[in-house]
Amino acid sequence: MALETTFVPIELEGILPLSAEKKAQGWRFVQIMAVNTEAGIDLIYSFMKDGLLENYEVKGLQRDAVVPSITGDFLEAFVFENETHDLFGVTIEGIAIDFGGSFYALAQKEPMTVISPAQKAARDKAKKVAAAKAAKEAGTGGEAAGEKAELDAKLADMDPEKAAKVRAALEAKMKKEAAAKQAATDEKIANLDPEKAAKVKAAMEAKAAREKAKAAEAAAQKEGE
Amino acid sequence: MGKATVIPFGPQHPVLPEPLHLDLVVEDEKVIEAVPQIGFIHRGLEKLVETRDYNQFIYVAERICGICAFGHSMGYAETVEKLMGVEIPERAEYLRVIWHELSRIHSHVLWMGLAADAFGYESLFMHCWRLRERVLDIFEKTTGGRVIFSVVKVGGVVRDIDDAMFAEIKRVLEGIKDDYKQLCGAFLNDSSVKNRTVGVGYISPEDAFGLSMVGPFARASNVNNDVRCLGNGGYGKLSDFQPVLDTQGDCYARVKVRALEVLQSIDIIEEMIAKIPAGDIAVDVKGSPAAGAEAANLVEQPRGECYYYARGNGSKYLERMRMRTPTSQNLAGMATALAGCDLADVNMIVLTIDPCISCTER
Repeated sequence: MALETTFVPIELEGILPLSAEKKAQGWRFVQIMAVNTEAGIDLIYSFMKDGLLENYEVKGLQRDAVVPSITGDFLEAFVFENETHDLFGVTIEGIAIDFGGSFYALAQKEPMTVISPAQKAARDKAKKVAAAKAAKEAGTGGEAAGEKAELDAKLADMDPEKAAKVRAALEAKMKKEAAAKQAATDEKIANLDPEKAAKVKAAMEAKAAREKAKAAEAAAQKEGE
Repeated sequence: MGKATVIPFGPQHPVLPEPLHLDLVVEDEKVIEAVPQIGFIHRGLEKLVETRDYNQFIYVAERICGICAFGHSMGYAETVEKLMGVEIPERAEYLRVIWHELSRIHSHVLWMGLAADAFGYESLFMHCWRLRERVLDIFEKTTGGRVIFSVVKVGGVVRDIDDAMFAEIKRVLEGIKDDYKQLCGAFLNDSSVKNRTVGVGYISPEDAFGLSMVGPFARASNVNNDVRCLGNGGYGKLSDFQPVLDTQGDCYARVKVRALEVLQSIDIIEEMIAKIPAGDIAVDVKGSPAAGAEAANLVEQPRGECYYYARGNGSKYLERMRMRTPTSQNLAGMATALAGCDLADVNMIVLTIDPCISCTER
């Protein structure tokens, strides 16, 4: 018998019937925890029986939500309900042993709901990485944007001053590379027969115009979406 | 019947190594109700997951507790491995079990020393802790640390143990076994020790199951919540694992379960040493947990089952890390065991759940 874990979404109204059902069926209470997300607080209730660990998730609880206590069925949950209230500010009604917010001696109220700069940076970075991936997958035109988003994601963790310096250095490098490329092309053309050189110049200008039109079309399509 | 009086017990009390407060409602010398309170040393370690990446956080995880340090680092690593779909080498699984069971021996023998001190046997306390030193020496030789080992990483372990060291571990454990059996004689057969433990703090199997108790506290009331039976990691390689259970449900049964579990841990280590395969001890783990990915895991710590949960956010930092420790699960059981006991037995009952408040508050 191996440990099997499952995650099941439930609604707030489903907590009490779930707890009563688990008690009646001989499940063991394991824990209650909370996760602070951008959409609100997620609550996770865990129960176990015969090697199956079931985690029931209530997603995106708002500040005004009132959560019923399950201590009527599982007295041992009082520790977790008081903890969830003190650390996350979740209102839980009817706890059998209710400490009324003084379960933990804390220097700051609801400390787990504070979004630290580090957490914000990690979330922003994850979003940018996801955007970069999506842009890369979108194909032509998106590649440059993807590279830019990836670079932004890499710089997100850095000290802003350092990031600005890195960005400036990269831009200078890119300009320098473009200038060197242009100079090499000009030199090649200068060494050609004047008639052939004129043909090459015209072909290059036509290619540049085609690429510009293609990029404009892709941008218009994206806007349309 | 006398008047009900509330006696505060702790957070500073000679029997408590860590701050736990109890409001004891007593009538004459009988406790009629006990309300536990913790919360004096909350450190916010779970919040630190936001500023330490998933590889760095392992060093925070093992600092949750000085006794279960190895278990916490192993539990955390297993959960992140589950989250990222990492399979570790078999040799690493065996090594983790060996260190984890050594931690169980050192935790239980330390607890037996504290229990001896609580019922007034100071010399027995010293014998227990002297024996425990030999286990700490094994840790020092194999990991470089006596309390914090830092040998677990996400993807395996960072140190191997060679055959010569395995032979020495076996030799030391054989020596410990003989001395330990003599100590057990004092705990389990001495009439004055039995006077303090037999019939004290009784919990019925129904209450133990109903209150979802874990660890030796539950197993002493014949409730098998030992997650080692599920065969996670290296435990799946054991030929036969039967949890130590007792039906008596009192302080004596809790002492007995822990006493026998030490011998069981020695047997597990010997079997693991005999079976350990050659090979790598770690795999490279690259990338970050996916945004919204989540994993839950259970590990049998010396004090009982510990629950771990991790959620990723697409970066190398986890969105959330959670550890639910055995003591928080056993507080309701402890309050039930205290109801109806003599005031003089409170310290013995509190000790027999082996409370770890640092773990509980994190």
